[in-house]
Amino acid sequence: MLTVFRALIALGALCSLGSHPAARFVQASNMRLEPWPDAVVEQAESLPVQEGGRVKPLHTFASFTLLRMTGRRSLETPHGERLTAVEWLLDTLFFSEASADYPVFLVQDSQVVEAIGVGLEGKRRRDRYSFNELRGGTDRLFQQAREIAAIEEKNRTSVQQQLFLLANNVIAFRQLSDTLDFARTPIPFGPDETLTAILGDAESVSASELLHRSEALGRRFEELIADHTTGGGEALQTVSSLLNEAAARFASSDYLAFLPPAADSDSEEWFTPYRLFVSSFPGATAAATTPEHVAMVAGLEELVRTRNQPEAFKAALAELHTTVVESAQARGEYDKIGLEVGYYKSKVVARSLYVFLLAFVVMAFMWLRPKSAWLRRATTALVGLATLLLCAAIVMRCMIRGRPPVSTLYETVLFVTAVGAIVGLVMELINRQRLAVSAAAILGVIGLFVANGYEMLDKRDTMPSLVAVLDTNFWLATHVTAITIGYSAGMLAALMASVYLLTKAVGWKRAERSFHRNLGRMVYGVLCFGLIFSTVGTILGGIWANDSWGRFWGWDPKENGAMLIVLSQILILHGRMGGYLREHGVCMAAAFGGTIVAFSWWGVNLLGVGLHSYGFTSGISRALWTYYWIQWGIVGVGAITVLRSESRHTASTRGAHGTSAERLSGGEVPSA
Amino acid sequence: MRRLLDAILRFFSSLGLCCVLLILLALLTWLGTLEQVHSGLFEVQKKYFESFFLVHQAGSVPIPLPGANLVMCLLFVNLTVGGIVRLRKGRATAGVLVTHVGILLLLLSGFVKMYFSEDGHMTLFENDRADFFQSYYRVELALIENVDGERGREFLVPQEQFADARGPRPVRLTAPELPFDLEVTNFMPNCRPMPKGPMFEVAVPVVDGVFLQSRPRQAQAEANASGVYATVVDKSEGTRQAGILWSLDAEPWTVTVQDKTWALDLRKERYPLPFTVELEKFTKEDHPGINMPRAFSSDVEVLEGTTSRPVRISMNEPLRDRGYVLYQASWGPSDARPGDRLFSTLSVVRNPADRYPLYACIVIGFGLLLHFARKLIRYVRIESRQP
Repeated sequence: MLTVFRALIALGALCSLGSHPAARFVQASNMRLEPWPDAVVEQAESLPVQEGGRVKPLHTFASFTLLRMTGRRSLETPHGERLTAVEWLLDTLFFSEASADYPVFLVQDSQVVEAIGVGLEGKRRRDRYSFNELRGGTDRLFQQAREIAAIEEKNRTSVQQQLFLLANNVIAFRQLSDTLDFARTPIPFGPDETLTAILGDAESVSASELLHRSEALGRRFEELIADHTTGGGEALQTVSSLLNEAAARFASSDYLAFLPPAADSDSEEWFTPYRLFVSSFPGATAAATTPEHVAMVAGLEELVRTRNQPEAFKAALAELHTTVVESAQARGEYDKIGLEVGYYKSKVVARSLYVFLLAFVVMAFMWLRPKSAWLRRATTALVGLATLLLCAAIVMRCMIRGRPPVSTLYETVLFVTAVGAIVGLVMELINRQRLAVSAAAILGVIGLFVANGYEMLDKRDTMPSLVAVLDTNFWLATHVTAITIGYSAGMLAALMASVYLLTKAVGWKRAERSFHRNLGRMVYGVLCFGLIFSTVGTILGGIWANDSWGRFWGWDPKENGAMLIVLSQILILHGRMGGYLREHGVCMAAAFGGTIVAFSWWGVNLLGVGLHSYGFTSGISRALWTYYWIQWGIVGVGAITVLRSESRHTASTRGAHGTSAERLSGGEVPSA
Repeated sequence: MRRLLDAILRFFSSLGLCCVLLILLALLTWLGTLEQVHSGLFEVQKKYFESFFLVHQAGSVPIPLPGANLVMCLLFVNLTVGGIVRLRKGRATAGVLVTHVGILLLLLSGFVKMYFSEDGHMTLFENDRADFFQSYYRVELALIENVDGERGREFLVPQEQFADARGPRPVRLTAPELPFDLEVTNFMPNCRPMPKGPMFEVAVPVVDGVFLQSRPRQAQAEANASGVYATVVDKSEGTRQAGILWSLDAEPWTVTVQDKTWALDLRKERYPLPFTVELEKFTKEDHPGINMPRAFSSDVEVLEGTTSRPVRISMNEPLRDRGYVLYQASWGPSDARPGDRLFSTLSVVRNPADRYPLYACIVIGFGLLLHFARKLIRYVRIESRQP
């Protein structure tokens, strides 16, 4: 249907060539007539590009750019065609006029567009706008963004924050859509002997040819400057006006750094076409242009020229791909690109979530049919499979980054989930009570929803460059890993304890006393496991701090958060040993402990103070407070259960001995 | 008597006390963390963590609390008596015992660090050298004699001796070797010198048209610039010369007394180092294409007598020498352009307990593993026996 529609447009355009030849021709050639061939998309995905301090596949760049703009990783065009991020990027680069009509800018609140005087006809309060829809308001948008920039980030209103974001997104879009301007038409120059001697007889020169002749041109330019006093002023004028025109054309291509420097270059910084141009001419610190660079720029020109000829475009892209990839390989900067494309395209984290969800459903049936060994095995197998997928994701990330599993906040979520699920599975293997595997399934679902939510909220590359202090694989592998395992145990214990308290409150499994006893034991076991890692991890953190900042302990919020976890876990174990907490009390404390872990893990980052500023986040406050209140509510439910049981007990058996906690726990006497 | 002693011992070794102390420590940690949003770390640290008592303001309600220092002292006693001396010894408690020893060691290292360590910084431009480091917070008053253009005798007045001179009542500093006495007034922990205009009056003296304007203390304590009014009183003639000393002044205040020139300098307290450090080069490396630093390092030359050796100090890799540790802490100027002369700030710490936490960590980790592995094995055995 879509193809027919496009063919009709093309046909219409061709038929009307006679009446308005130029105008119609422009319109037709600005439309992409065919969907991007799979081979083209695949080649484009694996092109390397340097962004955020590292070399990454174009696929990653496109996905996160589109995510930032539109809140999704794919896009529906006005013609109903669904585009992947890379296809959208290809359209933006090669069919920028058409992509200016795509609804890419997500506006959360229509007040934002009202503030820049853009009409709202037919739009919802939260809607997506195309560049052409916003075009009339861009001047006001940029003006307001400049004013907002002067306001400290935490003092900005919600509308101001969104305006600022929108301005950034519009700028990024413009820069992307203008990236290939230099390659669209050749640069004209007046007839001049000097230029003819270098560039030949033509009246215009392509960008690639200009780069190819840059050395000769540059030399001649310098000679002319030196000769300036003795004549040659006119020639100087011609050459410099050509160079100025070229610079103006290249100026709009300073966004995407996708041209690797020569293998033997000292510079680690990749070129945008503009920076390549600038460094090729006189005054540059190092002449950088190689024949490969000329070939790359010529390749881009060829791509622009053949953008509506699928076969020719495919061939040109393949050639460009080979040139760029060989250059990147020669620098040793292409090894991980394929793996990263594979990581994102395989959607392995999402798949793990689906399997966890399936495990969750099967688990629910398992508890409805408790005698079914088959359902128990199925749940365990599904949790095992989901965990395996998650571990594969973590391993792939480690390989791509060349780092231990946890070095960013996003990775802590993946790791906490994986460790929790593994602990659950191991416990299930030991006691086969179905409890641990159920907890693992719940934790898996929650954990991966949180990971996904964080990624969508943050909208930035989840494999960013690290600040200087984190550049140490030893401490990342020891301290960070240990402390994250501690978080995981704390969360798993809180989850199990919550299940304990809630099921007890509603009287579920009241007849089956072993259910709650087993659950209580497991909570205790997980807390012990967590204590080892939290304690060792926290002290290791101190030793690291002693090596990097000169003090073992500085009462920094993140350090304090870690200590709060350790203290709470020690407190539970000692309270249990002293008889102050029995099974029910331990579960109430462990459920409360979940909020301490959450405070340490996320909450302290929201305080906005301290040395651990590489983990700051915004916008997660509401989710965090929801979690706090849920856990406090569950602890409250636990307290009510105790009070109710106490009053019932007093009413029925006056004079009986023992505390309510003992009765609730079945009178188990704990040992440390 | 014996019963009383027993009761005391029982109280200090009780699990109840342990739990109360742990709750208090957790509470203080939590309050101290939240307080950092409003007050600086330095103030919070003094108020909550290094104190014996404090009053926490919950809105308008004052809540008296024991300070973390007191709580940890009590915890130390509780742990020693209850967790080690009175702990039932046996195979079952071996891991617990080891863990408790490790925690004692950790607490001990905290006490040693708090009472026996020095810390400060050394800020050097490239090619500069120093054989001392400076406190971040404390100031001292240095009186330096000028003998034919060379530095002569140097007298140092520590902060305690003049910090009480908050008002116009002078504190008189005197030494038999000095030809003059010094009267100090109006010490201000954070202030700036301002020209006195004709349209307003000030409550402090005005010296050469300038007065010290007191300012609220900064949340970041190291950002405070203290100042003080000083009057030099000639011992023999009784003549008085008044001046202003400010810790951020580029040059000291010079006075001539009995034909000798003296420089008076209010500066951050200095501590000597047993070696000299010369900064050869500071390097800041960014991730390619963005302004995020990837690595910082200072190439220094450590000079001791006639020998010298090159050392590279970088993030996570400090220089350790004779009990002193030098860390890469900061750099500047932040707006430097390529080719500008850079400075590097090295944190300097002398902490006799520098390595204790590492040993404590190993001991605690071993103890916990021993204890919980034993419990786990027992649990697995019981479970495997069940059908």
